[in-house]
Amino acid sequence: MATFVTEDRVLYAASSGAKAPLCRLYFCRHCLKIRSTNCVSHEVDSLYCPNCLENMPTNEASLKKYRCSNCFDCPTCCHTLSTRATTIPMPDRDQPGKIVPKKVYYLACGFCRWTSRDVGMKDQLVAGGGWQNQENPHDKRIFYLLDHFRQLAAKEKAEKEKKKYIRRRSHLHLSDKFGLSSVAARRRSGLLSVGSPSMKESEDVKIQDIEPNIASEDVDDQLDDSIFTQELDLSKVTNIKQRHANPDVQPMKTTDLYPKHKHLLIKCSQRCRECEHNLSKPDYNPHSIKFKIQLVALHHVPDLKMMSFPSLILNKESQVVLIVLNPLDTLVHMTLLPLEKEKDDWSTAKIVIPSCELLLSPRDDAADFDENTDQKQAFKDNTSVVVFRKANRLAFLIKVIPQSQDEEVKVAFQMKYDYRNLASALQQTEGKEPEMVWLQHSVFLNLGRLTPQS
Amino acid sequence: MPLFEGLSYGGEKTAVIFDIGVAFTKCGFAAENAPQFIIPTEVRKRKTGQLVNIHKCCSETPQDLRSVLVDFVHRLYFRQLLVNPKERRVVIVESMLTTTTHFRNTLADVLFKHYEVPSVVFAPGHLVCLFTLGVSTGLIMDVGYTETTVMPVFEGTAILKAWQALPLAGKAIHDYLEASLKESSSVEGGESGDKPISSFMDSIDESILEDIKVRCCFVTSHERATMYNANEVSTSPLEGPPAVRYPLKGDRVATISGKIRERTCEVLFEEDCEGRSLASLILDAILQSPIDMRRTLAENLVIIGGTSMLPGFNHRLRSELYAHLKQPPYSEKLSLPAFKFHKYPAKANYVAWLGGSMLGALETLASKSVTKEAYTLQPLIPDWCSLYVAEEKEKVVGATKKLEAGSRPLSSKKLSSSLSVDSSPRSSVSSAARAAARSIAGILSSASVDSNATPKSS
Ligand SMILES: [Zn+2]
Ligand SMILES: [Zn+2]
Ligand SMILES: [Zn+2]
Ligand SMILES: [Zn+2]
Repeated sequence: MATFVTEDRVLYAASSGAKAPLCRLYFCRHCLKIRSTNCVSHEVDSLYCPNCLENMPTNEASLKKYRCSNCFDCPTCCHTLSTRATTIPMPDRDQPGKIVPKKVYYLACGFCRWTSRDVGMKDQLVAGGGWQNQENPHDKRIFYLLDHFRQLAAKEKAEKEKKKYIRRRSHLHLSDKFGLSSVAARRRSGLLSVGSPSMKESEDVKIQDIEPNIASEDVDDQLDDSIFTQELDLSKVTNIKQRHANPDVQPMKTTDLYPKHKHLLIKCSQRCRECEHNLSKPDYNPHSIKFKIQLVALHHVPDLKMMSFPSLILNKESQVVLIVLNPLDTLVHMTLLPLEKEKDDWSTAKIVIPSCELLLSPRDDAADFDENTDQKQAFKDNTSVVVFRKANRLAFLIKVIPQSQDEEVKVAFQMKYDYRNLASALQQTEGKEPEMVWLQHSVFLNLGRLTPQS
Repeated sequence: MPLFEGLSYGGEKTAVIFDIGVAFTKCGFAAENAPQFIIPTEVRKRKTGQLVNIHKCCSETPQDLRSVLVDFVHRLYFRQLLVNPKERRVVIVESMLTTTTHFRNTLADVLFKHYEVPSVVFAPGHLVCLFTLGVSTGLIMDVGYTETTVMPVFEGTAILKAWQALPLAGKAIHDYLEASLKESSSVEGGESGDKPISSFMDSIDESILEDIKVRCCFVTSHERATMYNANEVSTSPLEGPPAVRYPLKGDRVATISGKIRERTCEVLFEEDCEGRSLASLILDAILQSPIDMRRTLAENLVIIGGTSMLPGFNHRLRSELYAHLKQPPYSEKLSLPAFKFHKYPAKANYVAWLGGSMLGALETLASKSVTKEAYTLQPLIPDWCSLYVAEEKEKVVGATKKLEAGSRPLSSKKLSSSLSVDSSPRSSVSSAARAAARSIAGILSSASVDSNATPKSS
């Protein structure tokens, strides 16, 4: 699509001032402003497994460490593993001594041929599998330390709260109106002393001393002498990516690689930072690529494109044909206005914009097939400005005078058009006519370099 | 399995823990026993589409660094952790010596303003890694990518005047490996027989260097290294490890000689022109610590960082320490009965992260964090000790090994004076910072009352 080919030729200003092509912007129809990716906040909308396309609720996902319970990644190449079935002879449970064929399942990678049998994982009797996860050998110690620190932290917090309470109490006593200040003062000093050093000992929650780790002279990575004599088989040594895929084990040999549950993906929704309305909300179903809400700017703001690249000569006026596309289903009255000088950090050329109003016919999906309507007549267009019109498209001329030899030719202007504010109509419950508002956006054109003179 | 399933305070969701290292970033959730992901600290630049390391963008304009960080943090939340930034507190584990103020401030700005996180705490990695041991005293050596840093911590307080750093780490190994591959390795295959590697590669991609380092190289023993050094390399009587045929792009195969495999990591232990190496870093740090703490520090060594995971690293470091101790200048100044090493319940490259994970699991997290409200009122992030360290650090360490001999004691003096609470004329920032540092250390110091932590005179 032409939009993408020339996407950074025509930029729109978002409310934050950032300039971006229209196809990368949102339009908040509640604030009636253009929003860039920086002025929306992202949110996790739903989690799903990219392999089996099952949704997973947030709570369940956090318990499962954001991994699918059914799908596995190959530990050597990260391809998705598939479950293979095979029959092996096995002693029958009901008739001892008799061998019967039994169906068993194992995991295999169709890409690099790795199988769960390579690392000695037991075949499973059910297809879903009860594959064991690798355990972190330090679980117990970490649990112990955490538990200890949590008790300490809880104590620290309690002490802080107690101090606060005591301070409040003592303050109360000092402001005692009934002449008991000496008593109060005595009590205060007593109370305060509870709050200071002696408090630690008198603390009712007694926390056991921690068992600290004991350092030793031993180190456990002495090289084995075989390293100097045995050939190194590179295919048996893991690479750093494979190691990092299992942070708590980080195996060095490929024979210690175990399959990892597949990591989930998310569907993201975007919110306007200012009014917190959703600007984009995807369909919950992972199979669907549709959106429940999709307020992209392309659907709400007239889309300007450059139709041709004119020849640009320094200090000479040249005509540029722009096409504007009306995405709205209303007739749009558009006028172009110059951009205020103070706001303009862009222009390197003078621009002459048409002073007349441009009428954009509403978007009508059927109009494209209707070939014999000559709308030019119906709209009484100013032929010195309007080049042609077709359905909701209109081509018009602007004039540009390049001012700088070395820089790219850039111009800017503002676009003002009327917009039917449906959001406000929704708020006012009674079926009022939607109010018409005037919107104004800044548009920045980059026409490229001067035409080389021969 | 998560250890404290669904356990959080006041219905609050568990915090997220980020350790944005120079080469790799560790990310995950509080109270977990390991990070969810270890990923390269890289992001695709919007303009050029190239993968860049975000720390290489530090020198660029604030806007550029910001946009790179926005994209990187987006990846951490929406590609890796899959949670909403607004709902969880953030713990950033940082290396206090390598994180620049510029980087920290931009990161805070991105987290608070762009992602609207409720609170952030910047936790010094050197301190929080002691959480994983349940001790409050240790000499922490972090062998990372660009630098190796050493920081003694006594009773939960860092002895700032004694910190050490040298650019001897993963990057130095890569550089040395590249040079020796170009010099001596030949490549077979392709159209035209055997050729030196330099004939078709101007520079070797860092990912290849890293892969060769990780899969082929190791740190040889002290005895073998001494024998090598005593003899001329060519006449060495030692039988080296077998060479490895390493497949490159296409049908090319490079030969990685045994010498390269065994001797590449020597760059970490060879002394520079001032006689400094990884072993001397530790001894210097001990030497610059108060005399009554030295023995305790030497008996509580904590070696962390991905580069220390090279096979044989710790064993070699131990031998080097004992060997250095017998030689001047240390033989005259230091007498230590033993070096003792801690074994932590983690892999060396995420010990600091695990400490952050423990910090993030505590009820006191809220009181130690900078909240979004506070940041909106005053966009300042208290440095854990003072901004001075970072500035000094940029000036002093930089990237070059060749430091003026006199600059170290001078800067240490400055550092210590900036840290002493009363004399410092610094603004509320640094005093708040000191308070923050103390309270982090506070948990630790109250945590252990064992003989290990009590000072012994040496
Ligand atoms: Zn799945
Ligand atoms: Zn595979
Ligand atoms: Zn997103
Ligand atoms: Zn809005």
